[in-house]
Amino acid sequence: MPRTSLKLTTALVASTFFASATNAAETYGPFPVTVKGYEGNKTNSVSYSGQIARHVLHDSLKKLASKGDGGGNAVEIEAALLLYFNGAEGDLDILAPTSKGDFTIKQNTLNEISEGKNISGKFYDGAMPAWPGDLTGREVLAHMIKHASQSEGGYDAANGYDWGQLISKFTMGAMAYNQAVDNYLDEKLEADTKPNGKPYKDGAAYTGKEHVWDEAFGYFGAAAHSLSLSAEDNYNIAKMKDLTVADANGDGVVDLKTEYVFGPAYYAAGADKTGKTTYMIDIMTAFIEGRKLITSAQGESLTDEQRAQLKSYAATIEENWEKVLAEAAFKYAGSVYKDITKIGEAADDETRAKAYRAYVKHWGELKGFAMALQSGKNNLGRTAVHLNRLIGYGPVTLDETIVSGIDADGNFVRDRKLSWSSYQLNMLRVQEQLLNAFGIEARANDATAELAGLVESLNTDGGAETD
Amino acid sequence: MEYLEQITAIFSDFINPKKRVFVGYLVLSVLIALVFLVAMRKSSTRGAFGAIFDRKILFSRSSIADYKIFVINQVITMLVSPLLLTQIAIATAVFFFLHRFEFVTSGQFEQANAAVVVGLFSVTLFVVDDLSKYMLHRWMHRFPILWSIHKVHHSATTMTPITVYRVHPLEAVLYASRGTLAQGPVVAVFLFLFGSTVSLATVVGVNVLVFAFHVTGSNLRHSHIQIGYWRWLERLLISPAQHQIHHSVAEQHHDRNFGAALAIWDWMFGTLHLSEKQELQFGLGGKQGAESDLKVLYLQPFLDITRIARRIVTRPFQRLRSDV
Repeated sequence: MPRTSLKLTTALVASTFFASATNAAETYGPFPVTVKGYEGNKTNSVSYSGQIARHVLHDSLKKLASKGDGGGNAVEIEAALLLYFNGAEGDLDILAPTSKGDFTIKQNTLNEISEGKNISGKFYDGAMPAWPGDLTGREVLAHMIKHASQSEGGYDAANGYDWGQLISKFTMGAMAYNQAVDNYLDEKLEADTKPNGKPYKDGAAYTGKEHVWDEAFGYFGAAAHSLSLSAEDNYNIAKMKDLTVADANGDGVVDLKTEYVFGPAYYAAGADKTGKTTYMIDIMTAFIEGRKLITSAQGESLTDEQRAQLKSYAATIEENWEKVLAEAAFKYAGSVYKDITKIGEAADDETRAKAYRAYVKHWGELKGFAMALQSGKNNLGRTAVHLNRLIGYGPVTLDETIVSGIDADGNFVRDRKLSWSSYQLNMLRVQEQLLNAFGIEARANDATAELAGLVESLNTDGGAETD
Repeated sequence: MEYLEQITAIFSDFINPKKRVFVGYLVLSVLIALVFLVAMRKSSTRGAFGAIFDRKILFSRSSIADYKIFVINQVITMLVSPLLLTQIAIATAVFFFLHRFEFVTSGQFEQANAAVVVGLFSVTLFVVDDLSKYMLHRWMHRFPILWSIHKVHHSATTMTPITVYRVHPLEAVLYASRGTLAQGPVVAVFLFLFGSTVSLATVVGVNVLVFAFHVTGSNLRHSHIQIGYWRWLERLLISPAQHQIHHSVAEQHHDRNFGAALAIWDWMFGTLHLSEKQELQFGLGGKQGAESDLKVLYLQPFLDITRIARRIVTRPFQRLRSDV
């Protein structure tokens, strides 16, 4: 008996050891403290709660954007939206994500995640020609907030805007993507910025480079254990459908700080669900490998070679992230195309109104992602100009007019006409542009896919068969 | 291993139901020929077999050249076909273009009866494809440059189903492009109008009409088995005998029966010739032996094209000189 139990124990120990070994390889953290001269009692140097707080502010902002009653509560809604955009003195309730059924969220307020965070301070503020009025990125969002608060349920049927979608998708780029690829994975990887030989700030449990890398990861919005999950699982976490896969530590609740999947990562998983891409795996692996590399420096400044390696991981992340945004824009251009057909086919007013509502929602997502793509590190040049021209400032509305600009008071002007068919053609061209510029592969809702399928099915009886 | 794969690829047409020489169609053609010879021509079964598998025809110099050309052309096709304009490119361009019209919208008739749409699509595709074959074939005979290419096919003095591959590679390119140009727009128009309701009615993966064409003895067109149809049917469908007339050296048969499956084009444009029981001599009627000299078959068209092109280029200058 003792021999058997010894064997059993050995087996258990061994399996636990291996299990934890593979686990460690597949999760982002924990990573040991390497910073020299650290006097605190922390054993894990990973920290990106500030980024999670911003994701939560973003989700809450989206939720709040649909609370307007058509003007009556405009002042309160605008104030509330600005509170979540600019941050608050005190604490803020988490409006989204909140518990749903057995999918219980651990945190209820922002300060339970991180204190004093805002979106506006970390928001792309360069030129944003995709939106009318010669505004900067941050000004565009303020403009959107103002109109969202005046709308009814975040929906402007006349101009064709879904404010929640526009604000959310643009923010996913202008905050998360921009901060990660144009800041943390860019200039902050230089030798003299946040060096690894020093703590990020006095007394911190992490080095400069460790924290820079963690913050970039935080903006991606994946769960720490996302790499060990299938695309389907990651997707279901964001949809709050599966507590078991989200709850990595088995405490029965979902910790937003490590166990939830936010926007950018959710869209990576969405594309990967087609089975044609591996964005989540590629991005997560690069993040984890990069973090391991920094940890291996043991608190010393990184050598040029190490930084070059780190930059190559950063390039992988950036490249794939850009593709994720392009895939999403591609998908929604396809949705808009299909929606127009449905609007045309609608047999009665009610069906038409419903189809139009879905069309405005999908357009908002398309527009938001197209703007997100223009908020990164790369200057998209011609591609951006063409996308903006094809997508327009607004979609074709029910009277076949389209927003052409804004007046001095910031109100939308619709003095341009465009037919539904022409706009469908624009959507085809948008997909073509995205395909050519970004080489995307998932290509959901490809409007010409059926064409390819049909051509494939044809009898190609060959050139050689002559009579 | 790689060699084996390449050899299999060369002969893959025989096991591909999309190709005329698919073994199933060949067997059916033999059966049709047997029934025809026994029932209509009152031949004995043994005699019919002997006539069908006539060694003098199967192993004539012309036929042996066909077999060699088959292999060479299959290799050339493998190399060239990736370079050709793809059907998908044409279809996409037309599909995009259709969005420019205001009076009709994408998917406007998506709710139409699926069976009707599938039927209409399959018939349209077949008819348009057949018309384009008629037109190109007519041009191949009409214009000297094209005729110099198409002559290779007509040089056959005996015909077997493999003669369908006796074409100059340039002709193969022209025919492939024709298919692309004819079918691409049809696909685009149907998808634009009927959306996802569109699909092809197929049997063993082939358009049901193309399948019907092959199972009713399309292989006998290039053979010596003279099967004619009723006179009324020969105005609608080209019979094997009618196509054999197209290959005849007799002057009264020149430039007749250009059609592939349908005879209506020949009927409409005055090039129809109904079949009659008669001895036919195939080929160009020129120098003996030219039909089996591969060097001549592959190179002569280039020499002819050069000669014709030079004449076209220099003609205006010659006229100038004579004016002076």
